[in-house]
Amino acid sequence: MSNVVIGLGNALLTDEGVGVHLIEKLARRHALTSFAGYLEYPDNTQDSPTNFEFLKGSPTSQPEQEIEFIDLGTAGTRVLHAIAGKKKAIFLDCAYMNATPGTIRKFTPEEVESQKTSEQISLHEGDLLRTLELSRQLGECPSEIVIFGIEPRIVAPGENLSPLLSTRMRVYLDLIEQELYAV
Amino acid sequence: MKMNKKIDVHHVTRIEGHGNILVQIKEGNVEKVEWQIPEAPRLFEAMVRGRSWQDIQTIVTRICGICSISHSLACLKGIEDAMGIETSEQTDKLRLLAHFSEQLQSHILHIGYLVAPDLLGAKSVVPLVESHFDVVKLVIKLHRIANTWSDLLAGRTTHPITFKPGGFSKIPTEQELRDLHTTLTGIIPDLKTLVSVILSLVDKLPAFERETEFIALVHPETYTFYQGEIGSSDISKTTPLDRFESVVNEYVSPQSTAKWARWHRDSYAVGALARFNLNSAYLSPLASEIAQMFGLKAKCINPYWNSIAQLVECGHIVESSLLILEQLFSTGLKTEVPKVKPKSGEGVGCVEAPRGILFHRYAFDQLGICTTANLVIPTNQNHGNIQKDFEALVPLIMDRSEEEIRLWLEMLVRSYDPCVSCSTHYLEVEFIK
Repeated sequence: MSNVVIGLGNALLTDEGVGVHLIEKLARRHALTSFAGYLEYPDNTQDSPTNFEFLKGSPTSQPEQEIEFIDLGTAGTRVLHAIAGKKKAIFLDCAYMNATPGTIRKFTPEEVESQKTSEQISLHEGDLLRTLELSRQLGECPSEIVIFGIEPRIVAPGENLSPLLSTRMRVYLDLIEQELYAV
Repeated sequence: MKMNKKIDVHHVTRIEGHGNILVQIKEGNVEKVEWQIPEAPRLFEAMVRGRSWQDIQTIVTRICGICSISHSLACLKGIEDAMGIETSEQTDKLRLLAHFSEQLQSHILHIGYLVAPDLLGAKSVVPLVESHFDVVKLVIKLHRIANTWSDLLAGRTTHPITFKPGGFSKIPTEQELRDLHTTLTGIIPDLKTLVSVILSLVDKLPAFERETEFIALVHPETYTFYQGEIGSSDISKTTPLDRFESVVNEYVSPQSTAKWARWHRDSYAVGALARFNLNSAYLSPLASEIAQMFGLKAKCINPYWNSIAQLVECGHIVESSLLILEQLFSTGLKTEVPKVKPKSGEGVGCVEAPRGILFHRYAFDQLGICTTANLVIPTNQNHGNIQKDFEALVPLIMDRSEEEIRLWLEMLVRSYDPCVSCSTHYLEVEFIK
């Protein structure tokens, strides 16, 4: 599959997990078959092996435009492998953009600068912009990258999105899907 | 002149999880040396109580993202031991292939991303992209291949979804395994390149030795990761798995949310160096060659060389996997559907995780509901040994600058490749009123 949509974030930190919540909803909307990959539905039946197929979605019904939906959660270092050799990558993540909480913005890596400093205190750390730069140096970066950043309302322990972001999920999904239809 | 020094590291970088180092030297005397674990308790042993035997693996695999396959395998073997479930030779071979994929992935990640920066004078792998791009590219390639290999056997890189008690819910096709064979054959030159890079830097590893007890899984004429009994460098007799509590003797340390362990001495070490020290006679030819290149021989008591032992194991892992694949090609793959009837019982599963020997004990009632669990993690077995290493090392280097002392201690911790989050425990607290 030449296109990939990646949800990032910590689903246990309320709005920090918005990317994960979004990718799950997108995957359900667009999956043609039952899926596994990075989203798990354990099989407890004992009668037959379960066929897991990678999540596929094709808003335009063209196989060459099939899209892979991946929940990368807090696996920051895995971004590099997930985008290798893809044509287009769309990232969904919580982002501090000095915007009103709940704001969604679409941008490319070239349009922003990272404020992050990373000393690898945690293996979950990932500096997305630096990872994309490394991907470019390896010669395997997608030619098109789009990032959807959502300004959080609450970043604190919690399993659900804040009410503000919850009520805006449909808006976010519609905007993201416009980008999917453009692939 | 009497020196005063203080080293206070919150937290140590380039390890999995959180650990602190505290050293206080006053008037030339070492007053305090502590390896502290502040990581929050994980509560898994409590979490699985009351859960079905069908769910345990899905839960406990989440103890870790790097060694999730090891936790899964230890768990499944514990359930199978408890319920008298037998596994086929095919299942064991495929599980070992999955296990090897994780060993390679973990060792490469450790050597390439966590240890190499120290050897190359960098604070993280990030600046190495500029200064040593080819090395970083090689490490990424090997790491990616290992991840893809895990995907093939386990369904995904982290938290397996094809494993179940008694077997697999899905196995690769023969063609996929043949492609894997081609890939693994192809990375042997890359592995040799990595070996030569690390060989050129090995003098950067501190020369420090401390007599230590090493504990690992042992099995006749095998460099084993998957089966056997508990071996120790201090005694020749092995201990059956179901008596592992008599080996680990866990106890609580006030400076740690992870328990410590001890057996014949105040502490012991597990991991690649322990496996090497107990089983090096059974290494594959490539692995033996790598060990010889470094001059690594059993019994090595320099903890910094755990990373070199990991590199040696990478050679063994790849060669052993090629042999397993060839065996599977000769017998052919069969569709096997595990049929399990749960029953009451208690059992132990044990494998060598990348970081060392891992124990899972479970008890189930007649409906297959888990009633108790005891999980003993490699890293919590190593914490006491890290502390003892610190206590021996600091007096030897206290004349050096604070920066150098700090670097040596951080490198020492990193050499154990600790998985701190795995190791923290739920502490039973009794309030005395």
